[in-house]
Amino acid sequence: MRLLVLEDEPALREMLVQQFRAAGFAVDQAADGVEGEFAGQEYPIDVAVVDLGLPRLSGLEAIRAWRKAGRSFPVLILTARDSWQEKVSGLDAGADDYVTKPFRFEEVLARVQALLRRSGGWSQPLITCGAVALDTRAQEVRVAGAPVELTAFEYRLLEYLMLRAGQVVSKAELTEKLYEQDFERDSNTIEVFIGRLRRKLDPEDRHQPIETLRGRGYRVARG
Amino acid sequence: MAPSAPSLRFRLLLTLVVLLLIAAAAAAFALDSLYRNLGLRALEEVLDAQVMALVSTAELDGEGKLAPQNLAEPRLATPGSGLYAEILGSQGSWRSPSAVGSGLNLAAEPLPGERRLEHSQLANGTPVLGLSLGVRWETEDERTRDFVIRAAQSLVPWHRELLRVRTGLATGFLLLALLLLGGLAVALRFALEPLRRLEGEIVDIEAGRRESLGTGWPRELAGVTGNLNVLLRGERKRLERYRATLGNLAHSLKTPLAAMLGLVERGEVEPAALAPQLERMQAIVQHQLKRAVFGGSGATLIDQPVGEPLEQLRSALAKVYAGKSISLAVAVAPGTAYPVDAGDFLELAGNLMDNACKYCRGSVAVRATPWTAADWRRPGLVLEVEDDGKGIEPAERAHVLERGVRADESVTGQGIGLSVAREIAAAYAGTIEIGESRLGGARVCVRLPGR
Repeated sequence: MRLLVLEDEPALREMLVQQFRAAGFAVDQAADGVEGEFAGQEYPIDVAVVDLGLPRLSGLEAIRAWRKAGRSFPVLILTARDSWQEKVSGLDAGADDYVTKPFRFEEVLARVQALLRRSGGWSQPLITCGAVALDTRAQEVRVAGAPVELTAFEYRLLEYLMLRAGQVVSKAELTEKLYEQDFERDSNTIEVFIGRLRRKLDPEDRHQPIETLRGRGYRVARG
Repeated sequence: MAPSAPSLRFRLLLTLVVLLLIAAAAAAFALDSLYRNLGLRALEEVLDAQVMALVSTAELDGEGKLAPQNLAEPRLATPGSGLYAEILGSQGSWRSPSAVGSGLNLAAEPLPGERRLEHSQLANGTPVLGLSLGVRWETEDERTRDFVIRAAQSLVPWHRELLRVRTGLATGFLLLALLLLGGLAVALRFALEPLRRLEGEIVDIEAGRRESLGTGWPRELAGVTGNLNVLLRGERKRLERYRATLGNLAHSLKTPLAAMLGLVERGEVEPAALAPQLERMQAIVQHQLKRAVFGGSGATLIDQPVGEPLEQLRSALAKVYAGKSISLAVAVAPGTAYPVDAGDFLELAGNLMDNACKYCRGSVAVRATPWTAADWRRPGLVLEVEDDGKGIEPAERAHVLERGVRADESVTGQGIGLSVAREIAAAYAGTIEIGESRLGGARVCVRLPGR
């Protein structure tokens, strides 16, 4: 999942970036509204965490610009003023949820995960596709009830595919979403990780949870 | 300093002076022309009478000349008397002795039966008014002869009279205008006295000599002074609230600060030991800020339609609670509005609706209706928020509304919404009441009185 952190306070931004990375996100960051608005327009962002008070261009204006350009990724706003006027204007501009400062990172993470689930059409933190069950809150994966140990990247890959269950996801999309902007891209690594995921989820080759569509990409069956 | 606008007194006086001058000039002109017309008519009648007198005493002499036999009017016999007469005929003319050497020079030659009036001048420039009458005279041998009989009168005495009257008129009107203006100045002073008093009382309030405006204002000012008093009361309340918030904030921060000082003095500087105190301080700041958010002046004079903000909150909360799939119904009686600060209303309704969404199982209903009473010019507002959650126990209700009001009470950041709503309602002299909803959960009813 590719996440944009738009926050001007360096300490807070750094904290968010590090903790989201630790939680398995590919994180882009921007320190002012203009930079952030550009990132939201140009990069394949899945979710954005936006502070409202930003230099050069306010968070509200950045969100409005994204929505006007048809960018529909979920947006979580961070507000310093805990007033309904501010929350309403943020949500009205196109944001999807808010967290008031000061906050605990767990709260922000939970909101972001809920937004991602909702944008994938899931309403519960537990996503189940066939025998595979993924708990976005605990970041746990079970196959037929038995826990499976995954690396951070494997988990991100599976979560992305499962949130888009039923849809075909191309290798190019996975590369874009799972790596950050300045990362060396190599679509072969995706094939390697898909192979490892298959062996971990289905060692006996019974459920075949991840389908390969030649020349188009991968698909996890919904339901 | 910006140039000040002309005073009300000056504006009124200037307008009235101009109006008064126009009216006085028009009246003087009308009176003057009336007097002039009457005067000329009188002069004309005098001349008419003279001409008739000449006709009645005139006789033809042997040469065919017509002349009066005796002069009844002594002025005609006195040279330069100002009254002149002449009779013109084909066989010679007659001139009154008064006209001899005067250079009387009338031009009209009316046909028999005709009358003509004309203005002329004597040789010395004296203006005269002349009347000429054409007559046909029958001779004894039954032949006819035509004559013109003229009488003229100097206008000098009349002009003198006219000047006297005009001077009188002008003086009279000027005096009247001055009198009226003086009266108006006094009337204005009397009429504007309450404004002067208002100014004085505001100065007193600024100087801290009084708390609010007095009573007994004229009807036109009662609205303004009433609203000013509401504004003043609101400001005073707000100030008190700020003081209280500041005091609460400072006092409640003292405890964790003291605890931290104690820890540091004991040499304990482990983050784990300091963290709880820091968290407590953070919670205190958040809590007090939340309570300081609303304006609560209570003196907003503009009616705020409540439908739109409730709809904004509905769509905002629908997003926030998208994962819970709540049916959130907002019903607003058409045209419901209340003079409330927009931010205060959002805060009040937002806290109640957020709470309802938080604790409901699946439905929340919001209803706003006007609250009318006989002695209110502007209606009040009733806002009801209901949910189908577990509800609030009767014993808990008072406590929930008071939560977090006292500084030394432990704050959690949760559940402070109702007490904030209560404070906002109180700022508008309103009440908040917790009951049971038909939906099964809590029903919070806010009543904001009208004015």
